[in-house]
Amino acid sequence: MDWKDVIPVLAGGLVILVVALVVKPALLGEPIGSVSPGPVPTPAPPAYVPPTPAPTATPFPEEGEVYTRTFRWTAIDGGVHTTQVRVPEALFLEHRATPRFADALAWGRYALADADRPFLADLAGRIAPPTANPEEEYYRLMNLVFFVQQIPYAPDNSTASYTEGVLPRHARHVKGGVEYPRYPVETLVDGKGDCEDAAILMAGLLDVLDYDAVLLRYPDHMAIGIRMEGFNPYYAKYTPRYFVHEGKHYYYLEGTGFVAENVTPGSPALRGKPFPIGDTQDGPLQSVRSRTPEIIPLRYIIEPAGYHIRPVRLPAGGV
Amino acid sequence: MDLTLPGLPKIAIDRRRALVAAGVAAAVIALAFIGWMLFLGYTDERQVAVFGARVAASEADLFLVSEKISAYMRASPDHLPLGEIDGRTREFVAVAEYGKGVSAYHRQAVAADAVPIAYAGAQSAYVRGLDSLVRAFSLWSSAAGAYDAKAYSAAKENLARADEAWGEYAAAMADYERELRAAEEGETVPPA
Repeated sequence: MDWKDVIPVLAGGLVILVVALVVKPALLGEPIGSVSPGPVPTPAPPAYVPPTPAPTATPFPEEGEVYTRTFRWTAIDGGVHTTQVRVPEALFLEHRATPRFADALAWGRYALADADRPFLADLAGRIAPPTANPEEEYYRLMNLVFFVQQIPYAPDNSTASYTEGVLPRHARHVKGGVEYPRYPVETLVDGKGDCEDAAILMAGLLDVLDYDAVLLRYPDHMAIGIRMEGFNPYYAKYTPRYFVHEGKHYYYLEGTGFVAENVTPGSPALRGKPFPIGDTQDGPLQSVRSRTPEIIPLRYIIEPAGYHIRPVRLPAGGV
Repeated sequence: MDLTLPGLPKIAIDRRRALVAAGVAAAVIALAFIGWMLFLGYTDERQVAVFGARVAASEADLFLVSEKISAYMRASPDHLPLGEIDGRTREFVAVAEYGKGVSAYHRQAVAADAVPIAYAGAQSAYVRGLDSLVRAFSLWSSAAGAYDAKAYSAAKENLARADEAWGEYAAAMADYERELRAAEEGETVPPA
């Protein structure tokens, strides 16, 4: 056998190798050559970037123009009280210049507005002074409820509802009228408001006293839910109604509708008929009597249900 | 005109030489085949090792993301002032962006390398899982954006869709485990 006989065989083998290592990879887009494809180089993975802290809000100055409003109200013991509220004009005007949230789920923010907190804390402390006696806690709570319920009702679409005598710039024209949810100090300066204004103010006052409250939204009304366990007073001629939210019981609490009447004709003494906690049957609204409201927490916190990274097994031979 | 073809030279067939030539050819083909198989085997092992390294790197980074998520979820939200709630949301955005970046990065890295055909199902499932994570973290960012715009209903919707994406991620990772086991045991996996 001569070399010339072996050469075609070797040439055939070479052709096979060329086809395997060059032609096939080129056709399939694989790396060319006998070196197996290595890992594709990648840049460094992204790093965690912590959030930038928000600048601290400047507190409203003590000096400057203030609105002074005086509220005369009947406490749970029948005593008539006079409570004065002072609100910086700058704060009030800033709220008036702030657009309203279209999404009612965000209305809890009004009740919790940081700038309003000192004024609400001061007001709550005077309406419902702290007590060391736990048995007085209920009276303390009810005084706060009575105070808000006695703020006169005024609809959003009435210019008489506002201190300026005109609709605020950011009042929203919605189907069926005007919507203008007020910050708590706006309701205090205006001295009146509708159901959502009363609910927001009451929720804000309850919150500064560390009560857990939510807003209860009906198609034509807004009230408050106050968290209590097993509220069932002996005097109630009704079954107190509550709604369950995240496993907690929130009892219905009306922010408006306190009916005051003179004890005797011509007498300045008043007696009130408030809406007690849990009473949904004695009001005029059918929706309150029969429907389940949408519950709006004051604090909306983003808490996803799914968030668990699931560790997996690595391929055998992996690192 | 003479149209007759010229005579071809006569091939002298020598039986012994022909056998030797056939033997050499068979030996060369056998060698090439064995070499090729060794080469393929080496390539497969190397590809699996690279795939394993990619998954390991991804899992290590996802563990860091998981720690950030856990820290966020652990913080007590009870009775926080509004400013702190907004601060928490900014933290949520930072975690979401971090998770999105890490998931997208490893999704690209894991998908970039070739794997043996037996591991293609596992690779595909893992990439699908990372795709779901990218989507989940993107929806978290959108939810935080909606929160920032005080559009809480939209925020809730985005969170609900993110929860679905988390479910798809978990399902994809279960598929990955099953495909991986099948690849290592040399079985075929029925479609999920």
